[in-house]
Amino acid sequence: MRAATLSAVPRGLTILLTAAAVLAPLLLILYQSLLTAPFFDAHKTVGLGAYAFIFADPDFWHASLNSVVIATAMVIIAVPLGGILAFVMERTDLPAKRWIEPLILVPSFVSPMVLAFGFVVAAGPVGFYTVWATEWLGGAPWGIYSLTAIGIIAGLLHVPNVYVYASAALKSLGSDVEEAARVAGASPFRVATTVSLPLIMPAMLFAAVLVFFLGFELFGLPLVLGDPEGHLVLSTYLYKLTNKLGTPSYHLMAAVAICIVAVTFPLVLLQRYLLQNARKYATIKGKAGRMRELPLGKWKWVAAALIGLWLFVGVIVPLSGIALRAFVTNWGYGAKLSEVLTLEHFQSVFDEPTLVRAIWNTILIGTVGGAIAVACYTAIGFATHRRNDGWSRFVDYLVLVPRAIPGLLAGLAFLWVFLFFPPLQPLRATIFSMWLAYTVVWLAYGMRLISSSLMQVSTELEEAARTVGASRGQISRQITLPLIRHGLIASWLLVFMIFEREYSTGVYLLAPGTEVIGAQLVSLWQGGAIDVVAALSLINVVLVGVGLALALRFGVKLRD
Amino acid sequence: MAELTVEDLHLTYGDNPILKGVSLNLNRGEVVSLLGPSGSGKTTLLRAVAGLETPHQGSIKIGDKVVFDGAVQRDVPAEGRNLGLVFQSYALWPHKTVFDNVAYGLKLRKIGNDEIGTRVTKALEQLSLGHLGERFPHQLSGGQQQRVALARALVYNPPVILLDEPLSNLDAKLREEARAWLRELIVRMQLSALCVTHDQSEALAMSDRILLLNNGRIEQQGTPEQMYSDPVTLFTADFMGSNNKLSGRVTDVRDGAALLEGDGWKLWGTARSSAKTGADGTGMIRLERIRLSDGPGENRLEAGLTTSMYLGDKWEHLFALGESRLRAYGDKPLASGRHWLEVPRESLWVF
Repeated sequence: MRAATLSAVPRGLTILLTAAAVLAPLLLILYQSLLTAPFFDAHKTVGLGAYAFIFADPDFWHASLNSVVIATAMVIIAVPLGGILAFVMERTDLPAKRWIEPLILVPSFVSPMVLAFGFVVAAGPVGFYTVWATEWLGGAPWGIYSLTAIGIIAGLLHVPNVYVYASAALKSLGSDVEEAARVAGASPFRVATTVSLPLIMPAMLFAAVLVFFLGFELFGLPLVLGDPEGHLVLSTYLYKLTNKLGTPSYHLMAAVAICIVAVTFPLVLLQRYLLQNARKYATIKGKAGRMRELPLGKWKWVAAALIGLWLFVGVIVPLSGIALRAFVTNWGYGAKLSEVLTLEHFQSVFDEPTLVRAIWNTILIGTVGGAIAVACYTAIGFATHRRNDGWSRFVDYLVLVPRAIPGLLAGLAFLWVFLFFPPLQPLRATIFSMWLAYTVVWLAYGMRLISSSLMQVSTELEEAARTVGASRGQISRQITLPLIRHGLIASWLLVFMIFEREYSTGVYLLAPGTEVIGAQLVSLWQGGAIDVVAALSLINVVLVGVGLALALRFGVKLRD
Repeated sequence: MAELTVEDLHLTYGDNPILKGVSLNLNRGEVVSLLGPSGSGKTTLLRAVAGLETPHQGSIKIGDKVVFDGAVQRDVPAEGRNLGLVFQSYALWPHKTVFDNVAYGLKLRKIGNDEIGTRVTKALEQLSLGHLGERFPHQLSGGQQQRVALARALVYNPPVILLDEPLSNLDAKLREEARAWLRELIVRMQLSALCVTHDQSEALAMSDRILLLNNGRIEQQGTPEQMYSDPVTLFTADFMGSNNKLSGRVTDVRDGAALLEGDGWKLWGTARSSAKTGADGTGMIRLERIRLSDGPGENRLEAGLTTSMYLGDKWEHLFALGESRLRAYGDKPLASGRHWLEVPRESLWVF
């Protein structure tokens, strides 16, 4: 009996620490929102003054409306496109699929800040493509600063999120239902819209809720593209609250944060419920029959062209914009590309110690920080692996909490945690604060990666170890852990890319010593240093690219 | 003292009762088979003895040590029971070599490396695996993997080994050789073994005693001969061999014999405990006991030949008797039409 209690200690400790790391920020935000002044202010009182203020502010309601509009637009654009893309990739004989698939997933691995900036320098009023189109074709009939444009761009960029879930669902269908439709006379497009997509409705519903939820979390894109014409969304409204009153208005920010979480948390719960539904639906269908591809015939070229167009607009335009701008001294009408190429922006990046530190920190937090994060996720995974008691369910729900808090808010909350608890204060100016925020924000993602690896280990292997006399701890260390080695390395690569791409979580934790590229880009952008932003963005893309290349080289599956 | 004693075990999954009061004894050197159709609870019983499932009532004793007692909430976990379990899928650890797979149990018992080396080598040699110590499981054939799983279960000399469907993963041809080899090994090493199987011929060939489970309860237990030749219930008779079934009414029971009457036929057979005068009855006779004969006589039936099947070593003939279908063996093909079948009184069980 003693042995059993002793082995419960590491598990209990892990769960306790996780709960503390997850709940402390949230509770602190809640507490702050119920105060009438920042929590370090001596004159603070408990009250609902913060909520009263923001509810009386018309900008808050405009921002909320914009958030809803953009989120809806994203669903309307991303869900059908993602579904059709999944159908074309999974069920038809589209050529060159192996090359196209990683390209489809690229937008989800590039920092949205970088993409937004890319759109500005590529397709903005004096962007590369705008200038070239005007010079060669006589006009550039697009704008990127309108609310519509933001919605369209955001929608296009979230197609991969829908694609991942739709294609997983399609994989589990047998091909005979589609073949029957073809025989009856339906074209591939008809088959997709009237047979395949309705059959994967649960997965599509989940993807729709997910995209709507991500719409509420959008920060970088509306920050960069919404500023010129003054379009605010909830996250950028919160970000600009500091400017409103001149003094740190933590209580107002907390109130806005709680409003955002009040929307996102139910959405996260809904997602969880729908995902379980979608998975149930897939297995009920049974094993997929032999999957015969639907021949596209002449539609092949239409499909290829559309995918090409999406890749061009969503990936190539912003990335080429960044790449060019990083090597160009200035740009505008009348500038010739060959005359303005230079390396001086990179020079200025490497001359500036803050930026060098940012690059170094970003690499560190991705490699070492990512490894430690995966170790933490693994520990939590083991605490809940194959145990269906109340504690496991508690951790299951615990993990959802950071999921509901957008990165920007999480970073803010962790800042407050470090300010609020005296023993933690010295850590605030170290990279540890950034790492902790990152690890907690991506807890749900990391746990999903780890648990899918753990699922691969057959129960019988662990039971066999029990029958020869191994305790649970020995089994975890000597049997399960060695067997998920490859899964752990794959998870580390994915977490590396996620950490490199991060930008919003670090915004409020930015301080001398804790700079990371993503957060630094946000602050540099506010300062208007376009050249340095371009160079730094390109370095960021390269870092993520290295991770992506390694992942592809080692056959890591890039989706959930 | 029995090596394993199970008393009145009850186990439920949610609201689904799986074991409804099972008791068994296993003595030293015995091979006992748990036999039954799927859903009868035999694998659950084995796993409960191993400690991988938790009953809610009853007791399990290994030697004189109580490992489970529902009355006092005592439940020794699987890792503390010191039993050997051979899984149906073998469950060899893919990241360990054959040697390490077998040695793991000894390492956990904190035995010195030298002694581990000697004992593992000896175990591997006993199972003809001596040259495979450094291989990995995926480099072995199915039969070799099974032997490694056995070596792993035996190396620390547990009092009882548990085998979950040991032969089901093997091809049909291999199975017959393997069951002989497995029994010989168990007897030679004087082990006490509890096997789970759904194949009655495997149970008959390998065991000293058979426990037939039906729906979470023990239907009958006994030696293979008793189970095959002396079934107490209809279920046992039906499960243990290939039978012909005749439905009718029992019109007379005297001196252990019963008269079963059907549509146009009357047969005397041995009365089992459930046969009562005036009640409906079922007659069971093994396929190999019913004989073709030339003409009418005592305890004979006339039936029409439906078809004959050639099985290589014999012919199997299908007959129709009213609604019933009868099968009989013969060594030559038969002309179509009606034939007489002799049903020996002592071979017909009337339930």
